[in-house]
Amino acid sequence: MAGDIQPTASRQPSGKNPRRGRSFETWSWLFMRVSGLVLLFLALLHFAITHIINDVVTTDHAFVARRWDNPGWRLFDWALLALALLHGLNGVRWIVDDYVRRPAARKATLWLVGGVTAALFAWGTFTIVAF
Amino acid sequence: MSPRPTGYRGPPGQWAFLTHRVTGVLVFLFLLLHVVDVSLVRWPDLYDDVHAVYGNVVLRVFEVGLLFALVFHALNGLRIIAVDFFPGAVRDERRLLSGVVALTLAACIPGAVVILWPFFEGRF
Repeated sequence: MAGDIQPTASRQPSGKNPRRGRSFETWSWLFMRVSGLVLLFLALLHFAITHIINDVVTTDHAFVARRWDNPGWRLFDWALLALALLHGLNGVRWIVDDYVRRPAARKATLWLVGGVTAALFAWGTFTIVAF
Repeated sequence: MSPRPTGYRGPPGQWAFLTHRVTGVLVFLFLLLHVVDVSLVRWPDLYDDVHAVYGNVVLRVFEVGLLFALVFHALNGLRIIAVDFFPGAVRDERRLLSGVVALTLAACIPGAVVILWPFFEGRF
């Protein structure tokens, strides 16, 4: 009905089953809070180590080799990579849903961002694992 | 309509919302670039050559910008979580946001001095 309040386009991403969509968006909302809290520690600690405690020019190949000698730091860096990419991708998805209104353009943008993110996740994982 | 319907509408929440998005996108774009530059670590000489660029003063200023973006996004994220889980916190929205800005400046100004210090000493 014309007088009904329609849900905003931003939370109806692709016009699928709204009940399923709502449930997915609830998990997405929770994921952003939980991953955000974890990333607060991972990202700020990573930045402190590579820019504050050590000067950036000293974090050369030898520095990375020393650090990745310890599997714990590899796990730390991989967790940061995975969570940051997923948190960032989901954030960009919300923004695209808000501003890219034409369905075809929205779909194409999301596939592009998702594809680049997935490729870089695979690339970054390979960097950490195969070093 | 009540004067302040939600934390996301109207100043100062609207500015926090916008800044959160902009800093988020900037950090995400840097992350995409950072995955590529770190992947050069497989070629030690190439990695060291590319990496040496980060010591340049222009990129040091860029790193300071990254620090501000990261810390604001992190602290404002905490504010968003507070408002989400404790709806009463909306009433203290202005104070919460002031706290976020004050803490961001308190953490990032000393951080900026540390990052730029080698330049002040004339080393880069």
